[in-house]
Amino acid sequence: MARRVLVLVGLLVAGCASTGQVSLGEVREFANASARLGGYAELSRRYRDTYERESPYLSPQAERVARDTDARRRAVFDDFVAIQKTLVLYMQTLSSLAGDGRYDLSGRIDDLGSGLKAMTDSGLQQRHVAAYTGMTRLLTRVITSRYQNRSVDTMVRDGNADVQTLIDAMIVLTRIYEKANENERKTVLGLFNAEIPMINRNTDRMLVTLAKVHLQNKTAEYKLIDRRYKLAQQGLTKVALGHQKMRENMDKLSSEETRHMLAGYVHDLNLIRDALSGE
Amino acid sequence: MATSSHSNPDPASDDANTTPPVTTPRQHAASSLLHQASTPDAIVATVTPGMPPAAQQAAADEHDVDGAARANALSNMQCVVDLADSVVCIADDLHERILQEIASYNDRTMPDEQKALMRALTDDERLLRQYAHALYADAATFVIQDLKEPQHRLMTLTADAAEKIRRIGVIGEVTGLVGGILLLVGSIARGQFSQVGAALEKIQLHNATLKTLKPGSTAKT
Repeated sequence: MARRVLVLVGLLVAGCASTGQVSLGEVREFANASARLGGYAELSRRYRDTYERESPYLSPQAERVARDTDARRRAVFDDFVAIQKTLVLYMQTLSSLAGDGRYDLSGRIDDLGSGLKAMTDSGLQQRHVAAYTGMTRLLTRVITSRYQNRSVDTMVRDGNADVQTLIDAMIVLTRIYEKANENERKTVLGLFNAEIPMINRNTDRMLVTLAKVHLQNKTAEYKLIDRRYKLAQQGLTKVALGHQKMRENMDKLSSEETRHMLAGYVHDLNLIRDALSGE
Repeated sequence: MATSSHSNPDPASDDANTTPPVTTPRQHAASSLLHQASTPDAIVATVTPGMPPAAQQAAADEHDVDGAARANALSNMQCVVDLADSVVCIADDLHERILQEIASYNDRTMPDEQKALMRALTDDERLLRQYAHALYADAATFVIQDLKEPQHRLMTLTADAAEKIRRIGVIGEVTGLVGGILLLVGSIARGQFSQVGAALEKIQLHNATLKTLKPGSTAKT
């Protein structure tokens, strides 16, 4: 009997924690900040368009290899972006569950599409595909039931493993994008560094000048973009850690400590987002 | 920037066991990729025992992933990244060597045939970088092929070859070596493993030839 009373009290406390508007404010803010983070989609597009930027600087032989790689990058681009779209929709749904009316999710189910294009072609790991499928299933359930019978804590508990796996995939991909960008930078700038000293400065003065100006511009462009890879990775890591902490502290969302912790993540995510959009 | 004391990620703290041994400085950057990327999962693994049984079951159903297979897949992906990194390193060394050669002329005019050689080497460098791109694309899509063996041999050989590219006195001798490396890397990037043996032989031959040349002798005699 005593145990039943304890269970009942426990349920009441949990119910208060997951429905109280005040205590869910930080969850809402965290979900919003995560949904609006940015960076990954833009860097995915940049990775997809590598060939477009590089091709003027390539020898015919290198260009043949580059064209082949370009086709392979483009073939998987949709899958790489689908992961991020799903994560954004998850965060928007979480925000809605936490009492935020700003997102209209009714038409968003279609965005989820029919899963990742082709497991064999996209090459994403089995666990990433499984996480994507799990996530879309969860979102479909939550959104189509118009949030009834679902609460923030069940959503966070059911979604956490998939959230972690999908963010893991995004971080791995962002690091590879970064390496590819570094290789591209060396391809482009390296050509000028080798060619400019070989130009005859007396007869080709204009050519030397134009080449130097171009080199300056390209150097500045790569310097700016370099920073964005780090910012995007920092942001994704914050989202993963914040969600994990939320999952661990679901039973004490109203506590000062938990709210303070979530507010800290929101603060960090907003700073990263400002840095990403301010450049 | 954007850090707070309670939420500062420390990827190096939990998952040392999942990180493959770092064997060369060349591999360091690539290893850190895997090391950091696996962090969120490492966190999941540590909290799973605290999950309610129903949630654990659900998680198990939806994440029926064999741990060994996953580690294997990650390690293969890492092999491809390592290989791409080492190709980038060779291209970097080649580039440095080209710039050294050009700089050694100071204000003197470089003969046309020497310019042609420099341009041919620059082309080789860019081709190497395209092969690295192809490998990064492979890694990004986790198209797994069993690259372990050729990758290991390439690591050993190219560390030696890259050093020679840096130090060799007569730059003309670099071309043969770079040709062998291009053949090897190209074969691997295209998955043509039957050609790997021949390419390795070619590199070894050139390495042997290069050993007889004294590094540091002047380029223009």
